[in-house]
Amino acid sequence: MENSQVKVTCSEVVRHICDNLGEQLNSPKCLAIKEHIAECPDCSKYLNSVEKTIDLYRQYNFEVTDDVHSRLLDKLGLGEKED
Amino acid sequence: MINFSSNLSETELIELAKSGDRKALSLLVRMHEKTVFNFAFKICRDRDRAENTMQETFMSLVKSIGQFSGNSKLSTWLYTVVSNHCLMMARSNRKYSETSSYDDDEVYIDEKSVVDWDVSPEKITENNELKRILDEAIQKLDPEYRIVFTLRDVEGLSTEETGKITGLSVPAVKSRLHRARAFLRRELNGKLAS
Repeated sequence: MENSQVKVTCSEVVRHICDNLGEQLNSPKCLAIKEHIAECPDCSKYLNSVEKTIDLYRQYNFEVTDDVHSRLLDKLGLGEKED
Repeated sequence: MINFSSNLSETELIELAKSGDRKALSLLVRMHEKTVFNFAFKICRDRDRAENTMQETFMSLVKSIGQFSGNSKLSTWLYTVVSNHCLMMARSNRKYSETSSYDDDEVYIDEKSVVDWDVSPEKITENNELKRILDEAIQKLDPEYRIVFTLRDVEGLSTEETGKITGLSVPAVKSRLHRARAFLRRELNGKLAS
């Protein structure tokens, strides 16, 4: 369940787009989309901004502080004698 | 006496916890607390609410661990509890009733205004202004769309797993994901475009 820190790649975004269109990754439509993106600066920028949107929210994380952890165990009646 | 210094699998820890082993339960909590807290924060967008949601989620786990069948992953169960809890809070607050409609794709897909973004995602931890921008953008997104975006794109779950957790069909997950991405991308474009 660890949060993935893997950077989103452009190909992953393309795969998602093809998936959303109900197309297979190697379908003619999907291949055409990839070719178009490769040759279209606007689409490349657009996809890059979608990729950064996802990556920004992936990177935005918090640590569980000792206080938060202790309060959780107290709430659960598990104390802090866990090691 | 169980030797917890050895690497017990999650399944083994669950079985021990079912039999009343408090140490196994504590280890399961520690294994999942960061993910549960972060997921709760990403949906609630409030630290206190996220902590409360995390506590409620693990209290549910403690109460019902005996009935956990193991047919699905524990993480799937935890994500489901957090999602339901956050949606319940959102509905009771009704503060999201003024969020935008997502019926018209054309409103969000603005390819003709695309420009480069001068931002480095890896610098997020040291950039409070960027955090504020991200918070503001995602708070405008209906929680039901926010959950799909977070499960699928941020947590990296599959479309099928996301559907199972949210109770949505695969096409519905894809549709909401597409619209959530486009909405957030458009919201951020106004602030991050160089």
